[in-house]
Amino acid sequence: MSEPLLSVKNLTIDYIGEEKDFRAVDDVSFDIAPGEVFGLAGESGCGKSTIAFAISRLHKPPALIRKGSRILLAGRDVLDLDPKALADFRWREVAMVFQSAMNSLNPVLRIEDQFYDVLRTHKGMTRAQARERAAEMLRLVDIPPDRMSNYPHQFSGGMRQRIVIAICMALNPKLVVMDEPTTALDVVVQREILQRINELRKEFGFSVLFITHDLGLMVQFCDRIGIMLAGKLVEQNEAAAIYKAPQHDYTKKLWASFPSLHGGVLS
Amino acid sequence: MKSLLRNRKALIGLVIILLIILMAIAAPLLTQYDPNARTGRPHQPPSMDHILGTTRIGQDVFARLIYGARTSLAVGFGAGLLITAVGTALGIISGYRGGKTDEVISFFTNMVLVVPNLPLLLVLAAFIGQASPLVIALILGATSWAWGARVTRAETLSVKQKDFVKSAEMMGEPQWRIMTFEIFPNVISIVGINFIGSVIFAIITEATLEFLGLGDPRAVSWGTMLYNAQKASALSVGAWWDILTPCFALAFLGIGMSLLNFAVDEIANPRLRTGNHLKRWSLLVRSGEGRL
Amino acid sequence: MAFLLRRLVFYMAAFIAAATINFFLPRLMPGDPVRLMFSSAGAELPPESLAALKLTFGFVDGPLWQQYLTYLGSIFTGDLGRSIKYFPLPVTSVLGHALVWTVGLMGTATIISFALGTFLGIVAAWRRGSRFDVIVSVGAIFATSVPAVVTSLIVLFIFGFTLGWFPNGYAADPSLDPAFSFQYIGSIIYHGILPMITLCTVLIGGFTVTMRNNMINLLGEDYIVMARAKGLSDRHVMLWYAARNALLPTVSSLAIAIGTILGGSLVTEVVYNYPGLGNILYQAILARDYPVIQGQLLIMTATMLVANFIVDVSYVLLDPRLKGA
Repeated sequence: MSEPLLSVKNLTIDYIGEEKDFRAVDDVSFDIAPGEVFGLAGESGCGKSTIAFAISRLHKPPALIRKGSRILLAGRDVLDLDPKALADFRWREVAMVFQSAMNSLNPVLRIEDQFYDVLRTHKGMTRAQARERAAEMLRLVDIPPDRMSNYPHQFSGGMRQRIVIAICMALNPKLVVMDEPTTALDVVVQREILQRINELRKEFGFSVLFITHDLGLMVQFCDRIGIMLAGKLVEQNEAAAIYKAPQHDYTKKLWASFPSLHGGVLS
Repeated sequence: MKSLLRNRKALIGLVIILLIILMAIAAPLLTQYDPNARTGRPHQPPSMDHILGTTRIGQDVFARLIYGARTSLAVGFGAGLLITAVGTALGIISGYRGGKTDEVISFFTNMVLVVPNLPLLLVLAAFIGQASPLVIALILGATSWAWGARVTRAETLSVKQKDFVKSAEMMGEPQWRIMTFEIFPNVISIVGINFIGSVIFAIITEATLEFLGLGDPRAVSWGTMLYNAQKASALSVGAWWDILTPCFALAFLGIGMSLLNFAVDEIANPRLRTGNHLKRWSLLVRSGEGRL
Repeated sequence: MAFLLRRLVFYMAAFIAAATINFFLPRLMPGDPVRLMFSSAGAELPPESLAALKLTFGFVDGPLWQQYLTYLGSIFTGDLGRSIKYFPLPVTSVLGHALVWTVGLMGTATIISFALGTFLGIVAAWRRGSRFDVIVSVGAIFATSVPAVVTSLIVLFIFGFTLGWFPNGYAADPSLDPAFSFQYIGSIIYHGILPMITLCTVLIGGFTVTMRNNMINLLGEDYIVMARAKGLSDRHVMLWYAARNALLPTVSSLAIAIGTILGGSLVTEVVYNYPGLGNILYQAILARDYPVIQGQLLIMTATMLVANFIVDVSYVLLDPRLKGA
């Protein structure tokens, strides 16, 4: 494997309680190569979203990233960035798609404003330049650019999630973190969105950290997969191996809960 | 209840309220004066004989303060109970029954909410004339239930969807039983917030009505103390004790009730809580155990 | 638009409800309603004036519904009767004059305390658990829980009587003639400061707490997290993502608060002898001037409905989801 783009090393995250702490992520390490799609699977509450948040350092108290943890992106430790460097790093290097498609866009701002604020902050673009860039990005995800003056509630859930993806592409990030990006959407829209991401990835060459509890979906989409259980990364392998020859009991159990998928999915 | 006692705001609030209640109950033990009798010369400043001075007609201010607490507390809690009872009943009925009943009740609720409360009370009290504290409590109960009805209705609508209500319906329980034994216990936190809020409102409003001259001036309460002091121009003649005593009493009681109100709000809505875990968190960050 | 129209119809109904209370209240009281309403007029009123007054309030020969219609008729033609204390001034002119002072005082205090309180709430929620948050929250609790009458008396005692920094009453120096002059307006402002401080103290806590709670309830939303992930500055996220959305429920709670604001300003006016509605009303109560007491309910209700409508409109302007509806 070539030099990894993202390298998570011994990541441990606690939620601080009044007396006892809850360990959400326990000594997790994995790498993602440039252009690779890495999946994190596990049931809800296993800590996978906590990892996603840590990569852009979005946690708030009482979450605590324990000492000894390292998150290297293109060789730089994200955890060492000062506030200014961190603001610069966010979205420019790591963009994120969140769980709920219905809720990731600010309901009271026009779509173009939600492009404009990020383009102005990072590239110092004027409104006209931002509009041009937004149109370009919206075309990538098949949203008619003339609708950029609309508000989020005027779009369907699938369209909103495509708009979020378009905003993700705006700065050409190196890594896109997708935290259950399609859970709230129906199956047809789900597939359409994942295909679109795949095409974009081939075009722009970013890596993807894909998080879901849907192992079947993940096997189709990812190059490598990590399986998480109660904050620990219990198994990590090529997607095909996870599918054909799961090692850990928990992975086998996860597969057993998807009986209908056997046969023909990977063809 | 246990979480209430562990909340610092709630504890301070409870202590304040209990102090005032104790003072009101023990009034005859705390002073030898009759609150209505002229026991000294007019407008005497605080002294050993009259620790909070005297009014313009020579009544003992301290005696009026502690006997007046009885009235203010009784009206506050009585009217508060009445307001809450009416609001809760209407809210649960309209939320649970839905349909026409709901439409009618909701329409009236919204209407009462946009007719300004104090001016309405002023008209009612003016026609009744020199309203006694009991009458004031009754008209407060009759006119101030709308906010409680609205929030209880909203809460009922969400409780109504729960499985235990559905299953009670399946078993053919009568509606009044479902409303009293299934819905009511599950909206109790809203009812509690409503009750405390209503008590604060009732205490403030009674004092205000009396201050504006709509109460019975012979009644002994904090509101009539304000009214009489204002009428005697206590501030201009320098008899600050006459007017500031009921002022601070009302402020103190209001603060106690509000602390309790905020605490209940925090307990009912955990997002509003700022707990001790955050202190531990900062400690861990400072000692280099971790970061964000 | 349909939303605003529906609200207008509703406000009409509420206004009629207030008028209905006015109509039935004297008739529900024991005794002769005419004598009750106009007893304080005594022998002072010439008989033809008294007859006109009776007509205004629907005391005509005929069934109750006819009386009711007569009363509604006079209200909707703007006839609220004549004041007994200030006879022969019509109630509308007595109250209309006072309303200007009340709306001026109340409006300014509402705007100042809403802006300031909302801002404090935003910052307190954003720096949750900090010393700033604790001080603001506790301060807000204290400010909201003290009755307006107490706050105004204490403020008056400290700044008016003890320190003597500000005048103790009236809206302007009574020796000045009302004019659009620098001196007169300056005097209005100088006299308005204490009532303004009082009202702002009474109101600000409620706005602060509402905004703080609304903000805190929003901070976990995905669009806030996404805004942070976008690398936007803290201030931008706080104002344009969190506060901008938290403002919506805050504005709708403003509608409910208007009643409290009205009540607060009535009391404040009495304490400061300010020539607004509250003071007129206080005088009317002492004189048992029922036409004025009844008229104030209608005018206050109308004021409240107009204020509610302004809140409705601003809500529609603030929430793009309602614009098309």
